[in-house]
Amino acid sequence: MPALNGRVGKEKFTPVTSPAPTLPVFACRGRVFRALALAPQAPVSDWLALLDEALKRSPTLFAGKGVILDAANLGSEAADIESLIAELSGRRIQILGIEGASCEAAGLPPFLVNGRPAADSVEVVIEEEKPPMTSLTIEGSVRSGQTIVHHEGDVTVMGSVSSGAEILAGGSVHVYGALRGRVIAGAAKNPRARIYCRKFEPELLGIDRLVRTAEDMGNHLRGQAAQIWLDGGAIKIAALI
Amino acid sequence: MAKVLCVTSGKGGVGKTTTTAALGAALAQAGEKVCVVDFDVGLRNLDLIMGAERRVVYDLINVTNGDAKLNQALIRDKRLENLALLPASQTRDKDALTDAGVERVIGELREKFDWIVCDSPAGIERGAQLAMRHADVAVVVTNPEVSSVRDSDRIIGLLDSKTVRAEKGETIEKHLVLTRFDPARADRGDMLKVDDVLEILSIPLLAIIPESLEVLRASNVGCPVTLNNPLCAPSRAYIDAVRRLKGETVAMAIPSDRKSLINKLFTRRAA
Amino acid sequence: MSVLTFLRPRGSASAARERLQLIIAHERSETGRPDLVITLREEILAVIAKHVKVDADKVQIKLERGQGVSTLGVDIEIPVDAAPLRASA
Repeated sequence: MPALNGRVGKEKFTPVTSPAPTLPVFACRGRVFRALALAPQAPVSDWLALLDEALKRSPTLFAGKGVILDAANLGSEAADIESLIAELSGRRIQILGIEGASCEAAGLPPFLVNGRPAADSVEVVIEEEKPPMTSLTIEGSVRSGQTIVHHEGDVTVMGSVSSGAEILAGGSVHVYGALRGRVIAGAAKNPRARIYCRKFEPELLGIDRLVRTAEDMGNHLRGQAAQIWLDGGAIKIAALI
Repeated sequence: MAKVLCVTSGKGGVGKTTTTAALGAALAQAGEKVCVVDFDVGLRNLDLIMGAERRVVYDLINVTNGDAKLNQALIRDKRLENLALLPASQTRDKDALTDAGVERVIGELREKFDWIVCDSPAGIERGAQLAMRHADVAVVVTNPEVSSVRDSDRIIGLLDSKTVRAEKGETIEKHLVLTRFDPARADRGDMLKVDDVLEILSIPLLAIIPESLEVLRASNVGCPVTLNNPLCAPSRAYIDAVRRLKGETVAMAIPSDRKSLINKLFTRRAA
Repeated sequence: MSVLTFLRPRGSASAARERLQLIIAHERSETGRPDLVITLREEILAVIAKHVKVDADKVQIKLERGQGVSTLGVDIEIPVDAAPLRASA
């Protein structure tokens, strides 16, 4: 820290090497992040019943996560989007933005087209500075209560991922020990990401936007070496030979 | 070079205090100068297990606050002169412990003793983190039972991140003590197997302590089990554990009901 | 383990019960004044310090809580060359 301060001070007092003074700029930066999308279908009451069932199975599915509401399949019920949002917030689901609907109303989250605010979707050409893909290797095990978040690239765990541990990776996840915790691969909108593990006993798995809990996956591969990938919008699991 | 050993588990009621007393006494019986320290401020129990509850004058908080000197607070064991106890306060709570105070007391203890055995409170909060903070060696006490194993895994994660050694990038030695092991239930297949627990936690095994009436008897009379009955199965397991801690290689046998009549005599009452 | 274990006449449980009764009685009587020993030490030392110079660190206090009566032992190390304060005054 002191070394850093010294360097800053030096630049200040040697005008020869300092860059031309610039006006203070109002900084506004783009942020890219992952959000879940909910696409309710008419009739809304039936769809809400399905949602409640899913929430009963895993109550924290949407906890603390940003959610986009895709209203494209709502049909005529799209007009009453306000009461739908109220129903969702009653289930502690926070809507960040709305896609696929065009009705304007005060107090609603912003309308989006393809994940961008609808208002500026035409003019803005975002030159996304893609961070270099790097892989992260963890020498030991990821223990219960620990979380590994690595948005840019693969995560390799030489040990095990314990029950109660979490890994979120932009790319694929390789676990050379037992996988007993929660793993989400392809978090950077990468449907081609995969999860590989030597011993398949996970609590929850996800690739891109699809998530499966242990109960949904069945027991037939428990304890075996397995790989998990996405095929046509469905999570597939197979033993590794 | 003094060693600070923290006995920890995450989950309560798995046998941390019993293990602290037994390992502390067994180390002292092996000739080491030992101090056992109770970090469970507000719920002290180590004094009861050590049989020193009627002689407590000062406690850890008095020493960290400067109300008393370390020498005044240490209680010498009546049976072993090279074994001492630093009790916890029963009237304060865990917020009364300060980082700086604990660091100073551990430093002073290191000068006086060969082994400082710290009895951690249950949980993963401040009290437990302070107890493990200065440890060189950790003994993770686990029951062969799912919630205990998961809590132990969490504690191992904390040992690898929240201790002084971990923060300096050094490794902290970790050992597993499997307590309340019931050979009869293990033989019937109704208990998590030793290998399963070891595979999940992946730290070396220091001891398997069979469930035993002798452990209860020892705590009833206020005497570490290794002193109360050095020949019973749990005592022998703790004494072997101490030999392993001191660097010896000692073969480990998984207690079984089927093995011998002797084993049967020791374990049948606990079933 | 059966309940009978506790009912056996010469089991360790009776020892446990007696120890617990004694220590809990003491802890209850001490609620509200947990620092009694510290207060006692300070006041005893203050009295002695009127007459001889003592080092607060060279004081050992021993307490033995017993049935009905507790004993408090205060062991104060007085240096041989400690000049009586009154004489020098």
